[in-house]
Amino acid sequence: MADEPKVLERERPVVDEALLRANTDQNLPAVARRESVPDTLVPQARQQTGAVGQRVTRTDARQHGLGQTRYIDDLSLPRMLYARIKRAGIASARIKRIDTSAAEAMPGVMAVLVGSEIPVNSFGPMLQDQPVLADPIVRHAGDGVAAVAAVTEQIANEALEKIVVEYEPLPAVFDPVEAMRDDAHKVHAPASNIYISKVIRKGDVAKGFAKSDHVFEGRFSTQMVEHAPIEPHAAIADWDANGRLTVWATNGRITLARSDLARTLMLPLNRIRAIGTIVGGSFGGKNEISQEPVLALLSKKTGRPVKGVFTRTEEFIATTTRHPFVMEYKTGVTKDGRILARSVQLTLDGGAYCSWTETALGKACILAAGPYRIDNIHCEARAIYTNKTMAGAFRGFGAPQVCFAYESQMDDIAKALGIDPLEIRLRNVFAEGSPSPTGQVLHSVVVKESLLQAAARFGWEARS
Amino acid sequence: MKRRGRGIGCMWYPIGFTVTANPSSAVVKVNEDGTATVLTGTVETGQGSLTVLGQIAAETLGIAADDVHVVSADTDVTPMDMGAIASRTTYVTGNAIRLAAENAMAILFEVAGPMLQVKPSQLEARDRRIQVKGFPQRSVMIGEVANRAQVTLGQPPIGSASWNPPTVAMDPETGQGKPFNTYVYATQIAEVEVDDETGEVEIIRIVAAHDCGSPINPTLVEGQVEGGIAQGIGFALQEEILFDGKGLQINSNLTNYIMPTTLDLPEIVVDIVNSYDPTGPFGAKGVGEPSLVPTAAAILNAVHDAVGVRITSLPATSEKILTAIKAKRAADQKQISA
Repeated sequence: MADEPKVLERERPVVDEALLRANTDQNLPAVARRESVPDTLVPQARQQTGAVGQRVTRTDARQHGLGQTRYIDDLSLPRMLYARIKRAGIASARIKRIDTSAAEAMPGVMAVLVGSEIPVNSFGPMLQDQPVLADPIVRHAGDGVAAVAAVTEQIANEALEKIVVEYEPLPAVFDPVEAMRDDAHKVHAPASNIYISKVIRKGDVAKGFAKSDHVFEGRFSTQMVEHAPIEPHAAIADWDANGRLTVWATNGRITLARSDLARTLMLPLNRIRAIGTIVGGSFGGKNEISQEPVLALLSKKTGRPVKGVFTRTEEFIATTTRHPFVMEYKTGVTKDGRILARSVQLTLDGGAYCSWTETALGKACILAAGPYRIDNIHCEARAIYTNKTMAGAFRGFGAPQVCFAYESQMDDIAKALGIDPLEIRLRNVFAEGSPSPTGQVLHSVVVKESLLQAAARFGWEARS
Repeated sequence: MKRRGRGIGCMWYPIGFTVTANPSSAVVKVNEDGTATVLTGTVETGQGSLTVLGQIAAETLGIAADDVHVVSADTDVTPMDMGAIASRTTYVTGNAIRLAAENAMAILFEVAGPMLQVKPSQLEARDRRIQVKGFPQRSVMIGEVANRAQVTLGQPPIGSASWNPPTVAMDPETGQGKPFNTYVYATQIAEVEVDDETGEVEIIRIVAAHDCGSPINPTLVEGQVEGGIAQGIGFALQEEILFDGKGLQINSNLTNYIMPTTLDLPEIVVDIVNSYDPTGPFGAKGVGEPSLVPTAAAILNAVHDAVGVRITSLPATSEKILTAIKAKRAADQKQISA
């Protein structure tokens, strides 16, 4: 017994008084006051070995809880400037002239940037069809047309008002079905508005429908949705005297952000340092660069670090969204509810630029038939340009849209055939080793288990 | 009158990029005291991924989560990673970290072998010790081995590795191929109450049973599913960006673009389906995106069950549902009078 206090004494960390006071003020337990925590026989999850499967507390939980996490808007560098981007406010136009002289003359405005000054004015994860700043064609109302760096955000905002842009309005197209017509306005003229398509074909749907006892048809559509993370897109760019660029950004993919920056700015990769800060929500919306090249060039022009934080409105109009879908489903079933054939047509409204559309389209097409064993599948998907906010990566990449359609139709089939909705799914779902619509043999398949487990927890009982 | 209904949404979802290579790389350094530092190029976007990645490193090294510090998201410091996208972090980056930790461990086993007078292949790491397999009494602290490796033998225990999920290109004509290495599955069941005089939907509860492989951190899995369901509710019933005739957004603010708040959320029950994928780190797959995939489907099927109308365009606003209820009533009336 006599030895124990000595051991404890040695393990007790030195208590930082300042830290203790700070925590008392906030009425929260002190970080360093380990002595106040009663010794327990069972170590906490964080301290136990065999870490996998444990309910370990998040490493960032304390900082989040105390409000001490530093997001980009909490960061400030010496002599930092604030940038704002002027948005077109017109969906389809040709820029005839930009006059930035009045803005440049304002006290506190340190630099102005337009699209023609960007070394390679295009980016995009698949097709590089999006300008950093529109020049000369504006393809949706949220396109940036000019940017300002000023000593305060207020001055930058006022300077945007003084930039005069003269537009020649162009025809526009907003509906994807209209946009597919030959005579429709071409968003990326002269190219067609149908910019990506994909087909999955397995078995013979015509034969499958012919063998079916019933054929169900349905048309479903979904809307454009915004990610709405709590933290908007934000970045700080610092182009130093050695010509080396450091960018702190709310970006979930810094390896590719660095490549995109190198391309747009024509810099070698080793001259760019991309730092992903703690991101206050992405949901897919922060998977590519946006204002970073603009901030970098404003920093290069001024020799000072430049910060940019999108407004909530910019989050809506100038960042990616979820693809609106139009979905045609045709499904042939036997009278006991086995799906024999399914054909699906998907039309994605991609908005003005490609962004992550190829992935959304591909995943939607692969997943469109649902988690069901179907021998005869035909799925066709195409993405369409329109003069609207671009759609891109959004949690689920097209899957929530097709799931809404195939599961709605599943219940319609169940009702028409008088089969319980749980039962009809159990009759059709994949099992271990089932082939997928792309002919892949599926492993670690537990879809049946998930149905049964959810049903048990819910208390699902078949109604007669 | 308020009418209750229930509906099922069932889904599958892939982990990682479609066909395209999407490697992750990692570096694991075991410090002289047996703690470790992990370098990863992925970014924490709020999911808790760095905690999960630290747990994977800790498990491989036989140490505790608290013994691992994860450094992330700096292209000057951390190795290449395709990032926090496509529900890939736990699966792909997790595998890279597991392999990197194994490589660091191999150095420690080489050093510990002579110390314990066995072959390195006969060793395992657990409880912060390197021990002869099955003989925990013949062991030595990892810190002691790491210190010896670096300070005495001049072989710092550092491991690095990359991992890329294997895929097969899809045939352009038929789409046949292996676009992903693994998939997850899930079912959500919603119970709703629909007011047939106003079209208003109240979600009573949602039960979710998700497969994510073996969960590395069940709390974080539940958090992802709860968050996904909240987002799915917005997608199902409320959220929509609206445009005027000139292509300008008319509700580009959170006053007029209505999202669910915590007060709109129903009771949510999250179950993790028993599952193990041998290709994932410790059997894990992923859960980020799938969490919201079946939510709208479950809710709309529950609405259909409650009031008998099939809403085919999202969001299913009260106005849309009420219009559909009225149309159904009119059609039913016609049938009776005919």
